[in-house]
Amino acid sequence: MATDSAALAAGHRPRREAGGGIARGRALVARALRDARVRTLSFAYLFALFAYIQPVGFRSGFPTLSDRAAFARSFGDNKAVRIFYGEPHNIIDVTGYTAWRVGGTLAIFAGVFGLFAAVRALRTEEDTGRMELVLAGGVGRGTSFAAALTAVAVTVVVLWVAEFAGFAVAGLPLGGSAYLALATASVAPVCAGVGALASQLAPSRRVALELGGAVVGVLFVLRVIADTANGLGWLRWTTPFGWAEELRPFAGARPLVLVLPILATVLLLAAAWRLAATRDIGTGLLASRDSADPRLGLLSSPVAQTLRSERASLLIWAASAGAFAYILGLLAKSSSSAGISKSLNRAIGKLGSGTITTPVGYVGFAFIFFILVVSLFACAQIGAARHEEAEGRLETVLALAVGRRHWLTGRLLLALAGAAVISLVCGLLTWLGVQSGGAAISLPKLLEASANCLPVTIFFLGLAALAFAVVPRASAGIAYGLVALAFLWDLVGSLLDVPSWVVKLTPFAHVGLVPAQAFETTDAMVMALIGVSAALLALWAFGRRDLIGH
Amino acid sequence: MTASSSAFAAAPAGGSPTGAAAINTTGLCKRYGDTTALDQLDLTVNAGEVYGYLGPNGAGKTTTIRLLLGLHRPSSGRAEVFGVDAWSEPVTAHRRVAYVAGEPFLWPSLTGRETLEFLANLHGDTDAAYCDELVERFQLDDRRKVRALSKGNRQKVALIAALATRADLLLLDEPTSGLDPLMEVAFRVCVQEAKERGQTIFLSSHILSEVEALCDRVGILRDGRLVDEGTLGELRHLAAQTVEVTFEDGTPELPPLEGVSVLAAGPKALRLSVSGDIGPLIVALAKHPITSLTSREPSLEEIFLHHYDGSEPGGHR
Repeated sequence: MATDSAALAAGHRPRREAGGGIARGRALVARALRDARVRTLSFAYLFALFAYIQPVGFRSGFPTLSDRAAFARSFGDNKAVRIFYGEPHNIIDVTGYTAWRVGGTLAIFAGVFGLFAAVRALRTEEDTGRMELVLAGGVGRGTSFAAALTAVAVTVVVLWVAEFAGFAVAGLPLGGSAYLALATASVAPVCAGVGALASQLAPSRRVALELGGAVVGVLFVLRVIADTANGLGWLRWTTPFGWAEELRPFAGARPLVLVLPILATVLLLAAAWRLAATRDIGTGLLASRDSADPRLGLLSSPVAQTLRSERASLLIWAASAGAFAYILGLLAKSSSSAGISKSLNRAIGKLGSGTITTPVGYVGFAFIFFILVVSLFACAQIGAARHEEAEGRLETVLALAVGRRHWLTGRLLLALAGAAVISLVCGLLTWLGVQSGGAAISLPKLLEASANCLPVTIFFLGLAALAFAVVPRASAGIAYGLVALAFLWDLVGSLLDVPSWVVKLTPFAHVGLVPAQAFETTDAMVMALIGVSAALLALWAFGRRDLIGH
Repeated sequence: MTASSSAFAAAPAGGSPTGAAAINTTGLCKRYGDTTALDQLDLTVNAGEVYGYLGPNGAGKTTTIRLLLGLHRPSSGRAEVFGVDAWSEPVTAHRRVAYVAGEPFLWPSLTGRETLEFLANLHGDTDAAYCDELVERFQLDDRRKVRALSKGNRQKVALIAALATRADLLLLDEPTSGLDPLMEVAFRVCVQEAKERGQTIFLSSHILSEVEALCDRVGILRDGRLVDEGTLGELRHLAAQTVEVTFEDGTPELPPLEGVSVLAAGPKALRLSVSGDIGPLIVALAKHPITSLTSREPSLEEIFLHHYDGSEPGGHR
């Protein structure tokens, strides 16, 4: 009997050891992919949809060659538009147009995705102590590191395929589509490399994201400067966002440029690995202060403490949106109506851009983007509230003399105040930019544009709060999903010929493009009213449910 | 605490300022989907009492406390704290309550001192001098940030915050998990002091020695039901005690006696289990020359295991 079991064990052992490293690595990759599936599929959906609607919209918006020629002429010099989409090549053709509209935008999303994916796979695993468990279980550091990044690579490939599929279904040439999608996706691995390096330096997930986010932000701004400032075009070569453009999809492709993102990714990952292999698990190389003299400000109530913990994040939101607003204001003057016919102007309007041929029209169009940003901030605040509950800290608070409705009301008012601050910063900095750039838009008009951000924000904040109260575990996903859907709805709806009442279902269709158009008082009030009602409903429902952990 | 002293334990001091019991639940039920976490719980804890709430993991101890705090909503029945409904008026109820969770959920970026300040502000009524004294006693480095504290040290922060409120009712959910033995002693001293001041303590635990040392009354929970409740003396009375006898000449034949069974027999010694009256056994033993006789009352552990015996493997420790 004893010899039997010994033989059995001996028979098992070689098999397990032979496949051990790879099998464990595979198990880790599978685990990481499971973790990332919702995020990856949402992004893939966005990529495919965006890749599909742009060529289709172009064909329906500019059916004739002369339309397209006029469009290309007017956009050739419009630097303000280049901020979002980059430098246009051959936009007289549907392929060139698609490369310009889709490539620029999705490259930003790909960059953000790569950063988040790497930090999630490396730093968050370490923060939660799970990586310690994995490493204690006989998995080497190399295997764990490689598995985490393999999973990230798989998700990036999924995005590439999704974008390619969107182009292919829209009828673009297959080879060019694959190349364009590759150019877009090439930003993701570089930013993942940034995230991997930041994960080694930062002592926590939050700091890693801030650090990596700052780097990605700078890389993006470099691309914006290269595309808009005279004589600084060479800056494009310093950033992965620029490389994606220099790959020139559908405009005399230069596949050799691919060496740059590959090289950058390899170097960043090699540096990250060097650091990862030598440091203590659970720490970062940047020192974190573990002891401090007490600072007793902003501890008097849950609202005060939330402000204390969220103020850094509020500052980052306001600063990045503000910086962007300043650049927009600066470039607004280059929007001109030269050579644009009335019918073409309407067509551009159908692309979801409003009337962008005058500075004031352009700023009005740009503010839709700020409305989106501020709405996303509101979602992030509900996400933070949910995080507080999931981590069990809300239980600690509510076991004290704090009422739940009181707590949620405070959280919502604080989110609204934060949104107001960001909106105000956007308005003020656009005005400063406009002043420096020499366009003529008055401060009151831009403050009105700031105020115009709030009704939509209240609408989404209320709905997000309701999701938090009713389906807490899914609330953050629902909140972000609603905003993204509503934003794309406008875009899709205005491109495809659907009945106008369907298009009008999204709040973005009810926003007056202040300062170009008037503030839509009735619509704004209706949206705010819906938001407030949803928030009141949320307060009632939250008062009736159990607290729910992870 | 010896067996005899607990048998004569004073009856719990009744009556709070408002006349209501510190804790009172009637027919309290909680279901999560298909699982019944708590089933028809009728529980009364009088003011000034130290009540031990025993049960293995998953028996429903934490659920009970969440219902008492109004964090979860009863499926049916009622939970009252000092006569105030726990679900509908939590804030009123919480002014007289302090809570320590089994897992301390605190804010990673705050230091220990900042956390104590914040929690004191939220409770609204804290003895600052006593708080400082507790920081000393528990040897807490309150300049350290919570994220850099071990679990035991985070538990200390939560405990100090709760004890410093001097609340009328302390709800403690496995409060010593993660504490080292020295700090466990400090904790027991604090609970004794709280008891002497007339505070009510509801101590949920599966550390039996702790409950045995601190509690006036004990309730045993199993699968969401209260299966036994009473003073330690009362509980012991129901369970068997163990008697060990050594004989001078050799183990004699004893007549069959009601409630007495032989656990082990050696050439000169016997170990017996006796439930009920011990008198007939003493009479029977008196006929033989005996070198020693010891009698041991059942430990809480034995009582506890008795309730869980053989029916729920997961419940055994």
